[in-house]
Amino acid sequence: MEQLIQELKEHLIEELNLEEITPEDIDADAPLFGEGLGLDSIDALEIILILEKYYGVKLANSAEAKPVFRSVRTLAEYILQNRK
Amino acid sequence: MRIAVTGVGIVTALGIGVECNIASMRSGVSGISPAATILRTSNLLPVGELKLTNDTLHDICGIPRREHLSRTALLGILAVREALTDARVDPTQRVGLVSSTSVGGMDLTEHFYAEYNDNNSAGRLRDVRMHDCAASTDAIARYCGITGYRTTISTACSSAANAIIAGARLLKHNIVDSVVVGGSDALSAFTLNGFKSLMILDEGACRAFDASRGGLNLGEGAGYIVLQRSEDVESCYCHLAGYANRNDAHHQTASSPTGNGAYLAMSEALSRAGITPARVHYVNAHGTGTPNNDASESAALVRLFGGNVPPFSSTKGFTGHTLAAAGGIEAVLSVLSIKHGYIYPNLNFKRPIAEYGLVPEQRFREDITVDCVLTNSFGFGGNCSSLLFIR
Amino acid sequence: MRCYVERVITESDVQRDIKELITDAGMRRRMSRILKVAVSTAIECIGGRENIEQLHAIITATGLGCLADSERFLRNMVVDKEQLLNPTPFIQSTFNTIGGQIALLGHNHCYNVTYVNRGHSFEDAMLDAMISIADGDASRVLVGAFDEETPTQHHILERMGAWRKMRSGEGAVFALLDACQSDRSIAQVTLIEFPQQSLTEEECFKRYATRGDAQLLYNTIYQSGIYPTASARSFAEAVRRVECGIEEVIIYNEFLGATPTILRVECVG
Repeated sequence: MEQLIQELKEHLIEELNLEEITPEDIDADAPLFGEGLGLDSIDALEIILILEKYYGVKLANSAEAKPVFRSVRTLAEYILQNRK
Repeated sequence: MRIAVTGVGIVTALGIGVECNIASMRSGVSGISPAATILRTSNLLPVGELKLTNDTLHDICGIPRREHLSRTALLGILAVREALTDARVDPTQRVGLVSSTSVGGMDLTEHFYAEYNDNNSAGRLRDVRMHDCAASTDAIARYCGITGYRTTISTACSSAANAIIAGARLLKHNIVDSVVVGGSDALSAFTLNGFKSLMILDEGACRAFDASRGGLNLGEGAGYIVLQRSEDVESCYCHLAGYANRNDAHHQTASSPTGNGAYLAMSEALSRAGITPARVHYVNAHGTGTPNNDASESAALVRLFGGNVPPFSSTKGFTGHTLAAAGGIEAVLSVLSIKHGYIYPNLNFKRPIAEYGLVPEQRFREDITVDCVLTNSFGFGGNCSSLLFIR
Repeated sequence: MRCYVERVITESDVQRDIKELITDAGMRRRMSRILKVAVSTAIECIGGRENIEQLHAIITATGLGCLADSERFLRNMVVDKEQLLNPTPFIQSTFNTIGGQIALLGHNHCYNVTYVNRGHSFEDAMLDAMISIADGDASRVLVGAFDEETPTQHHILERMGAWRKMRSGEGAVFALLDACQSDRSIAQVTLIEFPQQSLTEEECFKRYATRGDAQLLYNTIYQSGIYPTASARSFAEAVRRVECGIEEVIIYNEFLGATPTILRVECVG
């Protein structure tokens, strides 16, 4: 789990082009959207791509995915539950 | 000075020309097909595609195939020719053209790039010759005999409405005597995949303003109208009485939940014309069928009209969302609405969005007097434009 | 039609770091090179992001738009066979991205339009600005022109033989225009025209010069090279000359097969 969280943080920084942020700066339990990392709906689309590209996990659309998108930890949990 | 609309021209998935477009809409037949057959793509997504190849379009236009024009230019030429013939414009006048497109010659560029990417000495150069937006304007002017002031506008899905606004201002400042204004956009794999990546394409038919709406269907086409100074013409379809271009300034792609930009555009178009909301007989909505657009536009409609939202509909269930052409196509439909008393049905509607309770027009009507039509076009980058036509 | 120029700058005049001009990291991180360059130039031109809200019109001009992002999306589409595509380059590829970003940064709801008309996109934007001012629709107008060069575009145009006679380039120019003369006015634009035929240098002087010391910038090419909106650099140069004491500068532009355009810049008063 912790390794997956670390890996996810790295993917997020890389794919979302998060300037001057290191994996250590991201709190695994902090909200991804609004407060916390301050991501938006375009980032949500990119995160859906990260899940599919690196973990083969599909998410139907960003509205249904809301609870999954809460934090890095909820993303990791979703991957663990759905990875084949 | 009043701006008169003296000619209209339209090409959509429903066919070429006013007559066949109206005939389809009257009988409730949509132009959306389950998947593209002309466009090269592996996506099985519904599109509003004109089922004629580029070669056939060259033949219909009477342009040699070796000219190898982009599809955007070909669709534009067909619509502009119809509009010019309809308006019987005096060719000795200063005739201008303000055309809009969002894809330009992308339909050909993507063929080029597929080969070029593997080997940069491959790819036929004639496939990139028409890449830029102005190339289509240039070809339209050349093949329609337009020699006055010409320009090209691109503000995503509000483009053609902004081209129409620009044309009205050119007339007012005596830079042209008549001006053909509108837009053209061909389907391309670029835009189809672009909207797919944004996850706003419906896998079935789009359902504008319906509670269950799940996204838009992409379409292609062209729509142009001819504008002239009212004092220079004896008769006309109607007048362009008001217009406005405002920015939602909320998000790069999404519309604000309050419909701020849309509200500002509609209310400014009305105030510019000195018309109260109660006098609007029909609203041709932007109504793409995405959850976001239709909620935002509904909010703006309710804000402007209160409990008395006039008959309204989105015609995108027939044509698909034709991007930079949409404002032109819908301006043509709005103009015909005043001329013939048409109100167009909003296809695939079942249940209103609970929050607003708005029910669009669901049948083709031609039994009422329509004196005043408001038409909306909204786009990425926050662009919101509205046009107001009156008898 | 007439308008007053308060400021004109090119991308090379921007001294401040982009992080000072666009403080929001969330906005910066998705920006391509041309977006960063053009938006920084725009913000520097109006003296800071806080002044965006005072604008009544934002009018941009570009020949090829955000080319690098267009190409990125096209490449991904080809390489990844239309699967799992990142939407960001598609969103940023639209021609009105820069005008939209400026509005978004300042929560500005005003008139916002983009001209994409090859060699006279900039002049079309200027005409729009002057009409907006003449009609009383706007008194403070931001006009900008930008184009970026990419290796692919350079190579394709090379295959077409474009660089045998000219040097490719890129750049951004933004101008802040005002309806009224003030102590901030540095020049005025007194004429914009789109002649039907090509004109010689002599004809330009004869038709458009109104002052004895009038100078002409005739299809002038600068260090930044040739690109669709390169003529905006002539406008920046004309304003600079007027600031240095020249009373009148006429700009004639007929680049890249565009129909000719005339702009006349004069000193204030």
